[in-house]
Amino acid sequence: MVNLTIDDKQVTAPKNATIYDAAKMNGISIPILCHDKKLKPFGACRMCLVEVEQMKGRQIPACTTPATEGMIIRTATPDIIKARKMVLELLLLNHPLDCPVCDKSGDCDLQNLTYEYKVNSNRFTDEKFNHEIDYNNPLIERDMNRCVLCGKCARICDEIVSFGALTFIDRGIETKIGCEFEDGLNCEFCGSCISVCPVGSLLARPFKHKARFWAMTKHKSVCGYCATGCNLTLGVKDNKVLTTIYDEDQGFHKGQLCVRGRFGYQFINSAKRLTKPLVRKNGVLTESTWDEALEVVAVRLKGGTAVGALATPRLTNEELSLFKQLLVEKVGTSNFDHSAGYAHAALTKGLVSSFGTAASSATILDIQKSDFLLVLKSDTYETHPVVGFEINMAVKNKDVKLTIISDKRGKLSKLPDAKTTVHRPGSELHLINAIAKALIDENLIDESARTISGFAELTAALSGLTAEAVTEYTGVSSSEIKKIASEYATASKALIIFPVGQAYTGHTAALASALANLSILTGKNGKEGAGVLCLSEKNNSQGAVDAGFYSQGNGLDALQILDGCTSGSIKTLFIAGENPLVSYPNRTKVKAALDAVEFLVVSELFMTDTAAMADVVLPVCSFAEKEGTFTSSDRRVQYIKPAIRKIGQCKTDYEVFSLLLSKLGGTAPVTAAAQFDVLASKTPGYEKLSFAVLRKDGAYAPVSIKPVLVVTKAEKPIAAEPGNLLLVTGSALYHSGTLSQYGEGPMHVCPEGYIEFSRTDAASLKIVENDLVTVTSESGSLQLKVKVSLRIPVGVVFAPYHFAASSINTIWNGAPVTKVSVTK
Amino acid sequence: MNPITPIINGMKITLKHMFMKPVTLQYPTERPKVSERFRGLHGLKVAHSKAKCVACYLCPTVCPAKCITVEAGEDANHDKYASVYEIDMLRCIFCGYCVEACPVDALKMTGEFELANYTRQDFIYSKERLLEK
Ligand code: SF4
Ligand code: SF4
Ligand code: SF4
Ligand code: SF4
Ligand code: SF4
Ligand code: FES
Repeated sequence: MVNLTIDDKQVTAPKNATIYDAAKMNGISIPILCHDKKLKPFGACRMCLVEVEQMKGRQIPACTTPATEGMIIRTATPDIIKARKMVLELLLLNHPLDCPVCDKSGDCDLQNLTYEYKVNSNRFTDEKFNHEIDYNNPLIERDMNRCVLCGKCARICDEIVSFGALTFIDRGIETKIGCEFEDGLNCEFCGSCISVCPVGSLLARPFKHKARFWAMTKHKSVCGYCATGCNLTLGVKDNKVLTTIYDEDQGFHKGQLCVRGRFGYQFINSAKRLTKPLVRKNGVLTESTWDEALEVVAVRLKGGTAVGALATPRLTNEELSLFKQLLVEKVGTSNFDHSAGYAHAALTKGLVSSFGTAASSATILDIQKSDFLLVLKSDTYETHPVVGFEINMAVKNKDVKLTIISDKRGKLSKLPDAKTTVHRPGSELHLINAIAKALIDENLIDESARTISGFAELTAALSGLTAEAVTEYTGVSSSEIKKIASEYATASKALIIFPVGQAYTGHTAALASALANLSILTGKNGKEGAGVLCLSEKNNSQGAVDAGFYSQGNGLDALQILDGCTSGSIKTLFIAGENPLVSYPNRTKVKAALDAVEFLVVSELFMTDTAAMADVVLPVCSFAEKEGTFTSSDRRVQYIKPAIRKIGQCKTDYEVFSLLLSKLGGTAPVTAAAQFDVLASKTPGYEKLSFAVLRKDGAYAPVSIKPVLVVTKAEKPIAAEPGNLLLVTGSALYHSGTLSQYGEGPMHVCPEGYIEFSRTDAASLKIVENDLVTVTSESGSLQLKVKVSLRIPVGVVFAPYHFAASSINTIWNGAPVTKVSVTK
Repeated sequence: MNPITPIINGMKITLKHMFMKPVTLQYPTERPKVSERFRGLHGLKVAHSKAKCVACYLCPTVCPAKCITVEAGEDANHDKYASVYEIDMLRCIFCGYCVEACPVDALKMTGEFELANYTRQDFIYSKERLLEK
């Protein structure tokens, strides 16, 4: 701590604080324009000038000068005010001053400062800039005439997003912000640059001219896409969510969002939303009333174990637990599941056997506190982009070492000093087991591991693993494996991160246990910055697991339920928000099951392919219309409340389940809060939580683990034959599940399915970017657009799974790796 | 005082007025002369054959009666314009704040005061009706 005097006030500040930080901490405000607390000090604008007595009263920038012991600082002398006014005059000299048509007006730092410092005339005259404005980009409009050259956009894109799309170009008065070769913007479209731009140079095009900042009500919420659980502020006017608003104090991520969170909100007020219940009459879905629809459903739910249910983990904890209550207590079935059953197995089976609980042993906050990150699959960036930002910052700012084990390279591989071990597709379990063996063989294990149950069995099982077999299956040399093992073991804090999801069928329970084994063998759990972090897929995937909404005991899992539909043992299927026809493996099989089932009820926001097959379709609410909680993948339980009124006749899933419950002779707690209390009392870690506790910032549900070493058996991965390529599935950066298809932003940047080839394969198949190819596997064939990239290894192709229009499950039956042939 | 005097004084005034020019206007046959700064029906000014309004949303923001509805659009030249501009004259209090707030002098208040109409809907003045002719 250092002691200093600011404006005659004795204050203390941490050693690494700047004068600006020290003042801010002590409630003294210094104006800033180019500084952002998330970014490194830059000092471009000189708005923050202060006088330091020891420097003979010279004016120095507060945002870049470290606070030192005994400094005597003045922040608002007449001279400083004069200097700041001059800074503003000079900035306004070339500024177009087109506030009436600028969407930033009302939320503009330059406007606010001009007003605060009463700069209403200018002593200087000069020409205005005449830069060309980029209106063509569907998401980000760039008007460099308004730019004050603070550099925040370029810095955030480099320091946090690590993309580096924007930079200063040209010199002197010509300087402006632009892309390489003054090209159009073709980036991740995370919108971080827009969020930090202090003026209206960078604007969100989907929000163009929609409303003034002050005319919107701001509603804090939680992103409804992935399990990172980012916090959002929704800008609402006339019952419409018009935009997401940046709040630098929100969440662990300080307002950072990815393209889905920032630009994917349009599904909420989409014209395609279902607004009325539909009942199939004479073969056609016809508009109906809630009474009629629910009556039909209630009758059909009286089928005991012949009833099955699939719910999307996008529902709230309260809804999922109420749905479970309805099914177990009133319907009398335990055939319910979510996420195709296998996408949560890493938690519900893998980590349960390794840690004794279906939860990760680390949180997202541990990423920046770690020394060594072992990331399985480069896709971690695509599945959870804001977790990706944390990794970027850990590597770039905190010198955290990063090793990636993946079947392809990816954005994370490009980080400074990142090491990527590319293995043959489908061989991740072999590789992880081989690392475990190396840990034991090289005696890199923690002494505590020897006493942990399962140690002897694991050692025995691993001793059968020969170096030759491992190298043959994985394509990774044993020296590389040993190196990863020793780097992991010797790091004092090491964190393992891996994503799971419907497209990652290889990320099984066994893989989760194998990864947990590494952490247990080296004693890496229970420490800050260390452990295992399983990134579940959807916004409430962890919550669905915590609420116990998956097959347990003799209940059928998701795929068995579909089999049951085909065989006739399941007669009624209730699908709450899932879209199995697109997102579950093997479309033919899913289609046959949905055709065969006697009665299908779907509650949905949209007329999805699955909903179109239903006998009853119930229109339900999006996250912006309901109250409840979501649990992120690191067990942050976060509260959401309605930002808008319900659309049309929609009801929340909670209301639907309560109405059904009462029709079947039960009662549901009237409020979601009461339902949460019921859930909290039964869920380990949730005991102390309630809506009152969660309302402000949410809270972590603590995880306590009992480590056990588990033997995991790896199957021999399939190998390509001549003429074949190996297809691996996954997520695209711009999408999450099938919901993002209804968000305009994601669809602007990534409107359709594609298949990604290595350059070598593309050359030998004589195909180029954007060609249409027919991809054929055992299960079917599908036309897809070609993408050619450097990151894919030879012999491997990658395809994302989100798109109904080119449903990848036509050629993919759920195998981690599928043999495909490609023709033009 | 003589009780008759005030009566006589009163009669004097009455008689004087009988020979003065009448103040009452025989509306509608006679029309009032409306002052320049009269605050009547709004008009949207036109320049270069389009409305000057750039849909800055300042008038709806300042309007104390909250009776102005603006929706901004983007025209072919990427300029901002009011795709919707509506004033609900039933709620307007003719304060003129909207005119004062306009940063581009796009709005004026005319001498038009005959605003009576038959249905509520008729009092919602659309952009078309407000454009100066
Ligand atoms: S949207 Fe994101 S990736 Fe694109 S330029 Fe802005 S900060 Fe960089
Ligand atoms: S575009 Fe915005 S953020 Fe970037 S330098 Fe200009 S003013 Fe700063
Ligand atoms: S999709 Fe995930 S990473 Fe992106 S903003 Fe939403 S929660 Fe965050
Ligand atoms: S005159 Fe006053 S009340 Fe009427 S529209 Fe203008 S600001 Fe509103
Ligand atoms: S204040 Fe003027 S420019 Fe702005 S919306 Fe009203 S009329 Fe149009
Ligand atoms: S805020 Fe300090 S120089 Fe810009």
